[in-house]
Amino acid sequence: MSIRKKVLLSVLAVLLLIQFFQPKRNVNTKASKSDINNVYQVPDKVKAVLQRSCYDCHSNSTNYPWYSSIQPFGWVMASHIRKGKSELDFNRFGEYSPRRQKSKLKSIRESIKDNSMPLPSYTLIHQSAKLSNEQKNSIYKWLDNVQSTSLQ
Amino acid sequence: MKTLILSAIILLFGITSCNTGTKQNSTSSVTGNGTEQITAKAPSATASSTEGIIDSYIKLKNALTQDDDQDAAIAGKELIASLDSFDKSSLNEAQAKEYTDIYEDAREHAAHIGANAGNIKHQREHFETLSKDVYDLVKAVGGTQKLYYVNCPMYNDNKGANWLSEIKEIQNPYLGKQMPECGTVKEELN
Repeated sequence: MSIRKKVLLSVLAVLLLIQFFQPKRNVNTKASKSDINNVYQVPDKVKAVLQRSCYDCHSNSTNYPWYSSIQPFGWVMASHIRKGKSELDFNRFGEYSPRRQKSKLKSIRESIKDNSMPLPSYTLIHQSAKLSNEQKNSIYKWLDNVQSTSLQ
Repeated sequence: MKTLILSAIILLFGITSCNTGTKQNSTSSVTGNGTEQITAKAPSATASSTEGIIDSYIKLKNALTQDDDQDAAIAGKELIASLDSFDKSSLNEAQAKEYTDIYEDAREHAAHIGANAGNIKHQREHFETLSKDVYDLVKAVGGTQKLYYVNCPMYNDNKGANWLSEIKEIQNPYLGKQMPECGTVKEELN
C-alpha cells in the first residue's frame, strides 16, 4: 500500500470513528416557567422572528440542520450554542434579575443594530434567519414598549 | 494494516484531545482572567470599600476618553478582579442584596469590555450600563472619593448617556477625542 493510500484511509477511518462522538442535543420541549413569553408580552410576529433567528443558539430548542449529525460540524455547533446560551437564554429570561433583564434587552437592540447578531457566519448558512428591516423595526418597537412599561 | 489502525487511533485521540483542549482553554481563559487579576492587580480594597471598584472604573473611563480600546480592555479586566474581591461582609442585608444584583450585571459588562479590544463602540455600549451600575453601587454602599455624575445628551443618536468622573472638568468617554467637552454635571456624590 502506498503512503498516500494509507494516509487517505486513516483519515477516512478517523472520520468514521468520530461519528460515534455525538454531542448532547440542545432540545427541551418542556415549556419553561421563566421563558421570556411569561415575563413580557411578546407579539406573535416578534415571537416568530425570535424563534427563527435567535432561538437556535439562545434557547433550549435548537432546530438542528441535517449536517449537525455529522462530526465535526455538530461539535462546532454545540460549542456555539453553549456560548450563545451563556450570554442570553430566552427560555430562562425570568431568572435574570430586573437589572440584568434590562441590560439584556439593551444588548439585544444594540447587537441587532450593529449587525453583530444574528452572527454573519450563521446567516450565511441560515439565509432565512437574516433580519429584514421590517423585522428589525418590529423588534425595536417591541423593545421600546417593554422598556418603557415593565422596567421602570 | 496494523500501522494503519494505529495511526487512525492516534489521529482520533489527537482530534478528541484537541477538542477538549480548546474547551479547557476557553473556560480557563474566562476564569483565568479573573483569578490572575486578583493576584496580580486587584487594587488594595479595605473591607467593604468601593474604592477598588471605583478606581478600576475611573481607569476604564479615562481610557475611553482617550479612544484607547486596549487600555479600556485592561481596565475592564481589572474591574472584574475588583468586583470579585469586594468584601461585602460589613454590608447590611439590603446593601448586600443590592450589591449582588449590581455585581452580576456589572461583571458581565466588565467582561465584555475586557474581551472587546478593537471594538470601542461595543465597549462604550457596555460602559453605558456599567456606569449606571457603579452609580447605583455608590448610592447604595457609599464611597470616600468625590465623584461627579455627568450627562452627555448627544451620545447614541441624542438619547444621551451618563458616567461618573473623579474630576469636575468634562472629559467625555462616549464621544472621546471627537467631542471631549460634551457633558454637564448632574449630581455630585460623596
